[in-house]
Amino acid sequence: MVYHIADNVTSPLGNTTEQNYLSVKSGNSALRYYENHWGLPEPFTAALFTAEQNLAMAIDDMTRFESLVIHSASQAIDQSGINVSAPNVVFVLGTTKGNIEELEDNRPVPSIYYPGDTAQRIASKLGFTTTPVVACNACISGVSAIILAMRLLEKGAYDYAVVCGADVQNKFTVSGFQSLKAVSQEPCRPFDLERLGLNLGEAAATLVLSSDRVAQQGDHWCIESGAVRNDAFHVSSPSKNGEGARLALCGTRADSVVGQLAFINAHGTATMFNDQMESVAIERAGLNDVPVNALKGYYGHTMGAAGVLETVISIRAAQDNMVLGTRGFSERGVSGKIRLSSQNQQTDKESFVKMISGFGGSNAALLVSKTPVLAPDDVLPSDYTRTHHVVLTPDQLMVDGEQREIQPAEGDRITAIYKQMIGNYPKIYKMDMLSRLALVATELLLQAEGAERFTASENRAVVLFNHSSSIQADRAYLATIADKEGCFPSPSIFVYTLPNMATSEVAMRNLFHGETSLYILPCRDEKTMEQVMEASMLDKSTHSMITGWLDYEDNDHFIADISIIQNLSTRDYD
Amino acid sequence: MEELILELKQRIIEALNLEEMTPDEIDAQEPLFGEGLGLDSIDALELIVLLEKNYGIRLANPAEGKEIFKSVESIAQYVSEHRTK
Repeated sequence: MVYHIADNVTSPLGNTTEQNYLSVKSGNSALRYYENHWGLPEPFTAALFTAEQNLAMAIDDMTRFESLVIHSASQAIDQSGINVSAPNVVFVLGTTKGNIEELEDNRPVPSIYYPGDTAQRIASKLGFTTTPVVACNACISGVSAIILAMRLLEKGAYDYAVVCGADVQNKFTVSGFQSLKAVSQEPCRPFDLERLGLNLGEAAATLVLSSDRVAQQGDHWCIESGAVRNDAFHVSSPSKNGEGARLALCGTRADSVVGQLAFINAHGTATMFNDQMESVAIERAGLNDVPVNALKGYYGHTMGAAGVLETVISIRAAQDNMVLGTRGFSERGVSGKIRLSSQNQQTDKESFVKMISGFGGSNAALLVSKTPVLAPDDVLPSDYTRTHHVVLTPDQLMVDGEQREIQPAEGDRITAIYKQMIGNYPKIYKMDMLSRLALVATELLLQAEGAERFTASENRAVVLFNHSSSIQADRAYLATIADKEGCFPSPSIFVYTLPNMATSEVAMRNLFHGETSLYILPCRDEKTMEQVMEASMLDKSTHSMITGWLDYEDNDHFIADISIIQNLSTRDYD
Repeated sequence: MEELILELKQRIIEALNLEEMTPDEIDAQEPLFGEGLGLDSIDALELIVLLEKNYGIRLANPAEGKEIFKSVESIAQYVSEHRTK
């Protein structure tokens, strides 16, 4: 459990949490219709900053994305009064595509493309002295950043965390969602019978959290619990029975305090599949009597910002004894019998659940309360052992400390190793290179482990770290939208521009329903990796994890250095 | 038509990364989805791009694809009737 001590929302609806909340409460939407925008052949509806708003936020020598993050984070930091240069404060950035608009076709990759470098530039500008971490888990990035921060504080690695979720929109992101036929040309209608898809949005939102050791006296809301779980089903379609989302909801233990929940703030993107899946997951988790709302009709889907933004607005609403209405919703169009909140209504309850889902079958949920409603949970001391280890680079393959011979290969080295040592999984040819590297390295790791395979389990997590994000897929996708013949965005390449797909492919191959997380760092840094890994093991469902460094730049520069870790502290839990 | 069918098979193998397959192994009449090649929803979206890029055919509504993408033969039929390039 951690305490909320300050926040900010910066969106096209306003620059402060208060402006945003009042705007949403009175039913305003930032969604606008765009035609012939960014050279895209299809029109779309989105929530974008105006030129004036961008100009007002612009900071010299910082990109549009970085300026937005700084704008939001600095306000929340000022409000909190904490000194961010102290060694007990960490910066966690949740973003899906960060500075992607700085990447150009057929040009060298600028260093600001790398999300860890982006986070470092922002952290330094804000005055932090500790190493920032980027949670890059597709659309759940914001909630996954909050959960990471919570665990780092619970673990005692830091006393304060500044968590910012942010994304900006551009030709890259909008064309990608259009290629997946997920974008509605009209304002979105979450959970409605006539919903036609999502709208994208730009925003940054920040939460300043403090551990219970240092929380000042006063009226602080708290993030009580959180969980990340995987569908282990498909790269882009959510599981039909909402398995990952159900597990995430139950992982927060919200099902044990149903009577105290004011509402569930759903992801509610207004795509056919997402909303249907969430309704089934809520019903299966036994939460169907709790009012459900979604905020996409006000902000669109703000990707990496969504998890933080929607948590902050929900806290503000709960403080105001309010369950916000779901703009765009009028008639239930999902099979799960859930209670949708169409209009603002009063509540006297003081807890809520935030849920969120994203590509790669990733799902996460938080339980947030004014005063704790869950029985206190012990923070177990770290106790783990490394059982197997694989290192794969262009020059060598080591399995459990022993060198393995790799036959020299023309061209793609990773696929050659797949053919030589693994085989029988042709889906690998559909993957980007980062996912192929993850798959090949984990297959070798699991071969070494020799345990029974392919039994569905919630008890194994996949937590990987990287620097180069999904650079190979990003360049490949960019080439499809910069085609001289026209703009032909490739949906199958776009899904792999989400680097967490590497963790998801491993989960899918092995039916791992546990946590899947990808974190991006400014550079390979064993101390930070160990801190995050130990913090991740606070999830009592995580009995073991596949974890380590996974980076792919090109055929001559890649490394998988991953291990199986058994979490001995959970021995007595099941 | 035979020529177009072969061309489509080659393009499908390339666009959908069916790396271990050859055109001969794809039966033009067999269903592409479900059993058959076991293609999924992203593959269907990729076929929409293939039609637009190579034959100038725009399918605004992905649901239209269901009938068209039944088999290589049905795609060939549709392409020969609707191609603009």
